[in-house]
Amino acid sequence: MAVEEILDRRAIDLNMEARDKDQVIRHLAGLLDSAGYIKDLEGYIEDVYVREKEGITGIGGHVAIPHGKSDAVGKVGIAVGRTREMVPWESYDGEPSRLFFLFAVPSGGEGGKDHLRLIAELAGKLGRDKTMDRLQTAETYEDLLEAFL
Amino acid sequence: MKILAVTACTAGIAHTYIAKEKLENAARELGDTIKVETQGSIGVENELTLEEIREADVVLISADIRVNKERFKGKPLVDIPISMVMKSPKGVLGKIHEKLEKQE
Repeated sequence: MAVEEILDRRAIDLNMEARDKDQVIRHLAGLLDSAGYIKDLEGYIEDVYVREKEGITGIGGHVAIPHGKSDAVGKVGIAVGRTREMVPWESYDGEPSRLFFLFAVPSGGEGGKDHLRLIAELAGKLGRDKTMDRLQTAETYEDLLEAFL
Repeated sequence: MKILAVTACTAGIAHTYIAKEKLENAARELGDTIKVETQGSIGVENELTLEEIREADVVLISADIRVNKERFKGKPLVDIPISMVMKSPKGVLGKIHEKLEKQE
């Protein structure tokens, strides 16, 4: 799979300043917005919170995958962020998170099946211990790509 | 053990596919064979065939949305929320082993 097709450099910040969940979501949603993925930033953030209420997005290993399926999304995208300090986040292993993948998917689901597939593949790899281990030490965009190889 | 599984989450974006991977890895470690059908945003993938269903020892549904169970009639069926697989995939398969072995 071509990870670099879905991991847009403009939507990646591995030196995030965020200290809590809201700052993480707002910062990453802002990156997606600036890079042209989002039609209505506030509407998108609202839908991310709707999903947050439905269930846990901290998948363990200090990784969280907030996501929003929303009319406010223009095209399928992922923002990636990493904070220096751990951020409190509900998770399956009870641990806080410091690496975040914010997914943006248009609600119709149309017009981006290839990209949805890339997201599904990337998500699948987050279910592998090897990927998760590598992500812990990823400092650069290239490290990130390598973790998903 | 021959396991068939279906994963499905509310948004169909991420958990569905993470759970599939986790189940496959856990099955490999426990020496089980598994096939996982995903019902997500890209539709149904890796669909279970009738023949596979006939031959399976158990069907595991791991979903937060309703999954049609019609085709699994008569099979040992385990239906759990996807969070259990996210938390402890090996624990889930281990429990299934225990249950099935007790019945024999």
